[in-house]
Amino acid sequence: MDTEKRKQQLRTMFQRVIDPLGYKYSPDEELVDFLLEQEVMLEKEKGSPFCPCQGLTGEREHDMQLVCPCIPFHREHFDAMKRCWCGLYVHKDVDDPDDLPQISRKEFEQSRKKE
Amino acid sequence: MVSWVFAINENELADGEKKPLLLEGNAILLVRQEGNFYAMSNKCPHMGCPFSKGTLKGFIVKCPCHDWEFDIRNGEFLAASEIKDTVYGTKVSDGQVFVNMKGDL
Amino acid sequence: MKKVVMYTLSTCPWCMRAKKYFREHDIPFEYIDYDKADEKTRRSIMEDCKSHGEEMSFPFVKIGDDVVVGYNPQKYSKLLES
Repeated sequence: MDTEKRKQQLRTMFQRVIDPLGYKYSPDEELVDFLLEQEVMLEKEKGSPFCPCQGLTGEREHDMQLVCPCIPFHREHFDAMKRCWCGLYVHKDVDDPDDLPQISRKEFEQSRKKE
Repeated sequence: MVSWVFAINENELADGEKKPLLLEGNAILLVRQEGNFYAMSNKCPHMGCPFSKGTLKGFIVKCPCHDWEFDIRNGEFLAASEIKDTVYGTKVSDGQVFVNMKGDL
Repeated sequence: MKKVVMYTLSTCPWCMRAKKYFREHDIPFEYIDYDKADEKTRRSIMEDCKSHGEEMSFPFVKIGDDVVVGYNPQKYSKLLES
């Protein structure tokens, strides 16, 4: 299938998943376009539109939790960053995604323990 | 609102089994579990894969594509209950199973 | 100068930004694309991430003995200065 067409399809499908979770596509259109393109390539190569910024291990249980949108499986971590790891999605109230740094899972869990 | 549509004869589906149906143009998954019938959209809310090709364990159906799991009783996605598959009411009358295509349970 | 080694993914824009940051600041670095690496290298990257208590989230940047997971120029420069 044509890459542009598939990108559009993924965009429409994933919108329905992220909306009830309180997320939207990043206002950074260039980033969104690039990430969706990577996902289409990953889907062609590996069968699923995996996150372009997280590593697959080959273990199904692990890898299936990295299929986009992977927010449900990393909810608290992503909510704390107000973005998903690759930045395709941000919280609905975010206007400037460049203000949102990536916080690693370990840092997130350590900061939570301190609270 | 109700709009009962005939689905199958009661004896066509054994307990613990699932079956894909096309009712009024909608792809439906019919499940019989612990003596009751449950109906939900057969398309996974994630990427539209058919649950009928997935696995059923108790009241939980697992999508064959990416293993997303849903409760057939309320349509809720186990990892995030805000994501719901459409569920439909069912009734059995004179050995026939009907699905309420207006959606209400 | 501290040694900079990065684990990256060829599909990840934040990995590209991290590489760009070090290039623009004339800081030499080595990198391995996890998704393009052979099985043995992939396994050793997996082990390394795990040994730091981290997921395989990229970019995974090692500056001397410290690790920064994610694109974070402020942390990079702080660690390079210290």
